[in-house]
Amino acid sequence: MLAAVIGLVLAGALAILLLQPAPYLVNMVGQLAAFAILAVSLDLVWGYLGILSLGHGLFFAIGGYVCAMHLLSHAYAVTGVAPDLMQFMGWKTLPIYWSGLASAPYALVVALVLSAAIAFLFGYASFRSRVNGVYFSIISQALVYVAMLLMFRNDTGLGGNNGMTGFPLLFGYPIGAPGMVTGLAVATLLALALILVVTRALVVGRIGRRMLACRDDEARLRTLGYSTTRLKLWIWCLSATIAAIAGILYVPQVGIINPRVLSPDLSIEIAVWVAIGGMGRLGGAVIGAVAVNALKFWLSAAMPEVWPFILSGLVLVVVLGLPNGLLDLAALRLKPTWLRRGGRLG
Amino acid sequence: MSALTIDNLSVVFGRFRALDELSLAIDPGEVRAVIGPNGAGKTTLLDAITGIAKPTSGRIMLGDDLDLTRRSEAEIARAGVRRKFQKPSVFPALTVRENLEIGCGLDCPISERSDRIAVSLAETGLETRADTLAGSLAHGEKQWLEIGMVLASQPKLVLLDEPVAGLSDAETARTADLIRSLRRPDRAILVIEHDMAFVEAIADRVTVLHEGRTLFEGGMEGARADSRVIEVFLGR
Amino acid sequence: MVESLKSWLCGAILLVAGLMQPAFGASPSFERAGFAVGLCGDGAAQSRVLDALIRSSGEVTAEDLAFAGILLGGLLERRLVCLGDTAVLLEKAGAPDGREVVSGGVRSTNGGRSPVLGLRQRGLVETALGISALIAGETVELRRKGLAAVERRMAGVPDAVLVRAQDNESDAGLKTAIGVAAQGAALSSPDPARRLAAIRAVAEALSGAAFSRLSALKSDPAYRADPAFRAALEAAIAKVERAVWIGNGLALLYNGLSFASILFMAAAGLAIIFGLMGVINLAQGEFIMVGAYAAYAVQEAFRRFAPGFLDLYLLAAIPVAFFAAAMVGIVIEALILRHLYRRPLMSLLATWAVSLFLINFVRVVFGSQNLQFAMPSYVSGGVPLYADFIVTWNRLFAIAFAAITLVLTLLILKRSPLGLDIRAVTQNRDMAACLGIRTRRVDRLAFGFGSGLAGLAGVALCPIYSVNPGMGATFIVDSFMVVVLGGVGTVIGTLVAALGIGGANVLIEPFYGAVAAKVIVLVGIILFLQRRPEGLFAVRRRR
Repeated sequence: MLAAVIGLVLAGALAILLLQPAPYLVNMVGQLAAFAILAVSLDLVWGYLGILSLGHGLFFAIGGYVCAMHLLSHAYAVTGVAPDLMQFMGWKTLPIYWSGLASAPYALVVALVLSAAIAFLFGYASFRSRVNGVYFSIISQALVYVAMLLMFRNDTGLGGNNGMTGFPLLFGYPIGAPGMVTGLAVATLLALALILVVTRALVVGRIGRRMLACRDDEARLRTLGYSTTRLKLWIWCLSATIAAIAGILYVPQVGIINPRVLSPDLSIEIAVWVAIGGMGRLGGAVIGAVAVNALKFWLSAAMPEVWPFILSGLVLVVVLGLPNGLLDLAALRLKPTWLRRGGRLG
Repeated sequence: MSALTIDNLSVVFGRFRALDELSLAIDPGEVRAVIGPNGAGKTTLLDAITGIAKPTSGRIMLGDDLDLTRRSEAEIARAGVRRKFQKPSVFPALTVRENLEIGCGLDCPISERSDRIAVSLAETGLETRADTLAGSLAHGEKQWLEIGMVLASQPKLVLLDEPVAGLSDAETARTADLIRSLRRPDRAILVIEHDMAFVEAIADRVTVLHEGRTLFEGGMEGARADSRVIEVFLGR
Repeated sequence: MVESLKSWLCGAILLVAGLMQPAFGASPSFERAGFAVGLCGDGAAQSRVLDALIRSSGEVTAEDLAFAGILLGGLLERRLVCLGDTAVLLEKAGAPDGREVVSGGVRSTNGGRSPVLGLRQRGLVETALGISALIAGETVELRRKGLAAVERRMAGVPDAVLVRAQDNESDAGLKTAIGVAAQGAALSSPDPARRLAAIRAVAEALSGAAFSRLSALKSDPAYRADPAFRAALEAAIAKVERAVWIGNGLALLYNGLSFASILFMAAAGLAIIFGLMGVINLAQGEFIMVGAYAAYAVQEAFRRFAPGFLDLYLLAAIPVAFFAAAMVGIVIEALILRHLYRRPLMSLLATWAVSLFLINFVRVVFGSQNLQFAMPSYVSGGVPLYADFIVTWNRLFAIAFAAITLVLTLLILKRSPLGLDIRAVTQNRDMAACLGIRTRRVDRLAFGFGSGLAGLAGVALCPIYSVNPGMGATFIVDSFMVVVLGGVGTVIGTLVAALGIGGANVLIEPFYGAVAAKVIVLVGIILFLQRRPEGLFAVRRRR
């Protein structure tokens, strides 16, 4: 099934290149692909390691904010026009922690290292003291909540309430050009495909088996001589990095980043995508993210009042009736393979 | 020299002394049974050896020079200590073969791994089920798989927590065979069990625990004859 | 200002007739005819009589002051006409005749002229008018305006005036205001001894206002020049500062305690449920909201059916909110959570879906604006206790409420059959089931009980915080942290953790801001878990 999903993703990229559909459609596909990457990052830790993070929006936001900082300082360096943010903050020059971000490779490194470092600190403290299960979930939620409050403050220097927007250029070219929209969407689709291939190689290999063992009985795995703390920490940091990549690809496509991506509700929604698509299967995460967000794009424009009710209903139906998400509907298989898919920690 | 030396070990939960200055030594190659009524501290003893419960005082030595007292579970396991839990603890989402592979441990050379897995499969009689998910095995099969995982790691010290609880007579006999096959001159085995016939069939010596202390140590016949043991087991 | 003095003049027109007689309560230092003549003189003469009046205004009788006030009011409005050795007060400016000011007889204004006021004299007139209104004004309102006029020209007002006004004043609020003004006057008095006395007197007030008044004196030249003044001022500032600091500290603790009370009520239910079923209810914040909306419904019912007893609605809402939230909880348990006890992470998502549903349902039904609550007398106002620390009734209500909830919760858990079942199932579910405890029923009742506690929190907070569909989010993350810190299934742990987190939030906030408070609390909790992963008071369980 995963092969089919990867094939679809690549076919989508090809179709965009060949058929040149309307830019808004291309842009939407690109955003959905970014969300799919985010869902894969969460599925990696939740579906395969049993760690439900309700704070993954934090890593997404780190990628997004660093990307926005890059876009603004890059445009400033090229055009010399001071971004609105500088006026808003009353800055004459960009502060010291912005220095170098005009360079795209450096910004990429900063985003990935920063998200991994924060994930490492939080993960190390949590896993070391054996905080897991529901405890870990609500502490990670508190983490993203606190980060949101922090970013809502104007003196954080990252745009406060308004966030950052108005990115004119990407790699020196106007960001609104149709070619740019296509390029971003295709790049995101390719990133998604690549990430699926890499994570798949990880989860079917020896590490993946240890992850499943750790998910189902961590204490037992420890008594077999494996340092589960280290295993969880590695995968956790990897997952955070993937989430940051999703944020990096997302921001130039929507053209804005603000503290609302740090709202605990968004982070829970990521888990909802995964649950609806079918956790513990990478393809399921992609399907869930795409299905829920496509529905959201459509309904929150057409019937904004009704969308929350549909979403909550969908969650309840899936959680109660379809433990493997939409995959249950697709396959309706009754083989005992649920053990591998669903997992005991659910 | 002993394979395992436990010296004045105490484990205290709040006000409850689960182990009370317990001392115990097991020789290499020995099969030692630990018996005792519920609450005697048997499982706590295994928890302390494997690093799950932290001792309040005392020492646990593996061989002559490795102090396990302050080590993490993973370090203790990598030092060659393996435990079979009371409840069958296999990884349900992995196949039998994958379980055995995990059981080999991190320190198993890649060249040896497939041999060890093959040996374990043969010993446990699970060859035909090698690619079955462990979650769908029968209860007895899970017990054997767990013993197979212990076997695959070639441990120095094996801890078995009620290996035949809930098994049929035939399964019990098969398990006894399996445990005998685990025996090696450089390996000590510690079994916790309620089934006296089973203990008699496999153990060289028994230790009787009561309220966290050693009540008796010696042969099974001696234990049967000891008045304090009889009182503890039958007298109430 | 002038308008109101004018209206006072009109109101006092009857009095005028009486005053026109040669006064029987005449003051030795004040002579009506001479005063009128002086006003009719040149600038020097006007200043002389005005100065004299103001200087002696501590002793001049109220009647004479009222008389002077009428004359001066007339003067400002050009209704005073001078005729040689006497003066005539007109009903309105430009009238052909008026009453002779001292005798009260009718005189034509022929050949008379209205005196002109210089800038200095106008100031004196306004001062004198203010004094007159302050001491002889008929109504509180007039006297208050008089005080305002006097305060603007404090330098020219003798201290005796304020002393006298304060002694005579019947209105408590105005009396205090006059006292404050008098102190202020004395603070800037040229007489060093009086200033020192005033500093000491001001320092008695122990309020933030007194502190800022005293601090302002540091820029006074005397602070540098006069060591005695400096010493007295610094002693006074130190005294007030300490008191204000203590008072503010008490107020902070008080706010922290009330916040912690609500946190406790929200988190106690969470902790009980988590201990019992391993489920964290992400909709707990919405159960708080349900409780608050139930209180609103009770209020509306009282408005319609028993408006005379409206004050009691908050008390009547207590059981209603408890049962409303408990019912919602029980329904959710029966429909949803029952199926998810083996999948605690999925139950997080399910309860989130419930919270999403409840928020939007309430938004559709009631709208998303803040609800308006009538504040019963027992939750409005407060008692000033020390310095600026006021024990406000609404917060005391929440604290008392939480205390009662705590006691009842402990009683239910420790003494009731349900409590025994809850503790048994919490500690060993399988064993409890073997003993014949219907664990599913215990789960359901406990879930209802925990939800009901959240409903109570909703009642307790509606006099303090705003009530709207999204209100649950304000408390929910903090109450989760309470559960994490307090440990599973222990009411005392929850209490201590609620006090700790509520207190820490409120105590850090004034120094580093609300966000920093949250950051510090979160980091503190994570560090704490390094040492005690089970929380403060965990129930120890065997693997």
